Amino acid sequence: MMKFLKEYLVPRLIQYFFVVFLGLTLVFFVPRLLPQDPIREIVGQFQQHGAGLDAKTVETMVATFRELFGLSGSWHEQYWSFWKRIIRFDFGPSFFRFPTPVSELLLRFLPWTLWIMLTSTFLAWLLGNIIGGIAGYFPGRRWSRLLDVFSVAVRPIPYYTFGLILLIFFAYTWRLFPLGGGVSVGRSITFSVASLIDILRHSFLPMLTLLVLNGVGWYHQMKLLVQNVKGEDFVRYAKAGGVKPWWVISQYVLRNAMLPQVTGLALAIGQSYSAAIIVEIVFSYPGVGTLLYEAIARADYNLIMGIAAVSILTVSTLVLIVDLIYPLLDPRVRYR
Amino acid sequence: MATVLKTQDLQAGYLLLTPYGERAILAVNGVNIEIFHEEIYGIAGESGSGKTTLLKTLFGEVEVPLRVLGGKVYYSFGNEFVDALLLKEEEKRRIRWRYISYIPQGSMSVFNPVKRIHSTFLDFLKSHVEGKVQEELFELVKKHVSALGLPTKVLSAYPHQLSGGMKQRLAIALATILNPKVILADEPTTALDVVAQRAAIQLLKDIQREYRNTIVIVTHDMGIHAHMTHRLAIMYAGRIVEEGPTSVILDQPLHPYTQYLIGSLPTIGDKTFRDSVPGAPPSFLDLPPGCAFHPRCPQVFSVCKTQTPELVNVDERRKAACWLWMERG
Repeated sequence: MMKFLKEYLVPRLIQYFFVVFLGLTLVFFVPRLLPQDPIREIVGQFQQHGAGLDAKTVETMVATFRELFGLSGSWHEQYWSFWKRIIRFDFGPSFFRFPTPVSELLLRFLPWTLWIMLTSTFLAWLLGNIIGGIAGYFPGRRWSRLLDVFSVAVRPIPYYTFGLILLIFFAYTWRLFPLGGGVSVGRSITFSVASLIDILRHSFLPMLTLLVLNGVGWYHQMKLLVQNVKGEDFVRYAKAGGVKPWWVISQYVLRNAMLPQVTGLALAIGQSYSAAIIVEIVFSYPGVGTLLYEAIARADYNLIMGIAAVSILTVSTLVLIVDLIYPLLDPRVRYR
Repeated sequence: MATVLKTQDLQAGYLLLTPYGERAILAVNGVNIEIFHEEIYGIAGESGSGKTTLLKTLFGEVEVPLRVLGGKVYYSFGNEFVDALLLKEEEKRRIRWRYISYIPQGSMSVFNPVKRIHSTFLDFLKSHVEGKVQEELFELVKKHVSALGLPTKVLSAYPHQLSGGMKQRLAIALATILNPKVILADEPTTALDVVAQRAAIQLLKDIQREYRNTIVIVTHDMGIHAHMTHRLAIMYAGRIVEEGPTSVILDQPLHPYTQYLIGSLPTIGDKTFRDSVPGAPPSFLDLPPGCAFHPRCPQVFSVCKTQTPELVNVDERRKAACWLWMERG
C-alpha cells in the first residue's frame, strides 16, 4: 500500500500541482502581454461618458484602480500578490458589474455550469459505453446498425449548431421547453419539487445537446473496443465454457473494454468543459460560459482571469479524480 | 469398452471468398475416430495439419469463420449417441463442463485479467450448478484446487501476478472442476518450459487416474504422447494417416510420415544424425492430388499420385492410410 502511494499517488499529485501552477502563471502573464492598458481604458470610458475629470483626479483614479486590479508595483511583486490573492480566492472586483467581486460572480455562476457539465458528461460516458458495448457485442443486429447510422450522422455536428436545432424545434416550434435561462423569470430557487422541476426543464435542452454529442463519441469508441475484447481468449473461453451470456458481456467484455474509456474520460473532461461553455451561450444559460462571453465582450480582465483560473482548477481536479479512480478498476495498476 | 465420443466422416474448415468463387479449406477432411471411456487419446501432427480445428469441432465450438462442411460428431449419453453439432445453444451450454470440457491453446489467458482467479472459477460454476450459495461453491473450488495439489492461496491472486506454469495448471483445474467425462486439451504445454510442462502433464495424468475420465490431447510434442497417451492418431493435411496404441506406433510406425516423425526423435546416447521430413507441409489451398504426403514420401509409387488412400485396418489394433499397406492387406 505504501509502495502504491509512493509510486502512483504522489507522482500524480505532483503533476497536478505543477499543471495548476503553470496554468495559473499563464493566466497571470497572458493579459499582461497585451498591448492595451486596461486601467487607461476604464478611465477613458469614464471620460467618454462625459465626466469632466482633471488630470489629478485621473491619476488618483488610475492609482486606485491599479491597486484594486493588482497592477501596482513591479511584475514580480504583482505575481507574488496574485498568488496570495488566489489562495484567498480573491480576483478583485468585476468591471462590468462593478463593484461585485469576481469571486462572488464565480460562486453564483459556476454551480450551473458544473450541474449541466458533470451530469451530461457522466451520463454520456455511462450510456455511450453501455450502449456501445452491447452494440459492439452484437454488431450485426438491425438496431446496432441503425445506431451506427445515427451516431455517424450526429457526431460531426458542432455543439452550437446542434443546440440551435434543438432550441428551434423543442423550444420555439413546439414550446416544450423554455427558450433560455436557468429558472423561470421572477422565480427564486427554493428547496421544493416545483423549483426542482423548473431547474430541470431549463437545463434539459443544454444537457441533451452535450449528452448526445458526447455520447455518440463514447458509443463509437466503445463499439470498436468491444469488438477487440470480444476476440480475447478469456471471453471466448467463458462463452465456450457455458458462462451465461449477459454475465460474459458485463463482467468479461464491458469490464475490460471500459478501462481505456476511463483514461479517455480524463482526457475528455477539458473538452466537455469548453463544450458546456459554448452550449451555455446558445441557451443563454446562467453559467460560466455566459459570464465569460459578457466578460470578453466588455473587456473585463479580472473576470476573464478569474474564470480562466477557476476553469483550470476545475478541469485539473476532475482529471485528477478520474486518474485516481483508475487503479480501483484495473488491478494490474494497483498491484505490481 | 464403451465409446464416449466418435466422429463420422467429419469435414470442417473455412470458406474462402476468392475472385473465382467460394473455396473450402478443409482443415479436417473425412475424419473417423472413436474414443473410448477412460482413455487418453493423442492427436499428433505438424503445425497446420488441422489438429486444433478437429478439437474445436469435437467440442462443438463451431464459430465463424470455422464451419462444419459434412459429417457428424457423436457424444454418448448413457447408451444413446447424440449428434453434438445439432444441439441447441442452451443444450450445448449445459453439457459443457459437466460432460465435456476444453483446455484451449495458450490457456494462460483464459482468466479475466481484472478479476481474481476465484471469480473466474465461480463464474463457470455458477453457470452450471444451481441451488448452491456462493460460499458452498467457493468451498468446492478450494477443495478441487487443493485436491489437485495446488495452493489455495493463488485463488485470491490476479492473473498477472501468477507464473505461466501456475496459470496453466489453474486452467486445467478450471476445466476439470465439474469432473467432466471428456476433457479436450489443445497443446496444454505450449509456451511452458520443460519443468512446467512436466507439472502440467503430470496434473492431467493424475486427474485422469483419479476421476477416470477420457482425455483427448492434441500436441506436436511426441514426448508428451509417449509419456501419457494410450492411443495415438497422426494427422497430416486434415486427415488421419495412422492410428493405433501409442507404444506400438512409437516402436513400429507404418506410415512413412510417422516413420519420419518418430525417426527424428533423439534418444539419449545416440549421436547419429536424425533425418527430418524433406520438404514443407502442403498448403490447404493447393493440396497435392492423391495422397497429400506423396511429394515428400521416399516410398512413393504411381497410385499415390492419383488416388487418396483410406484409413484402413492393418492389423486388429492399427489403422493406416497408405497405399503401401493397402497392397499388403
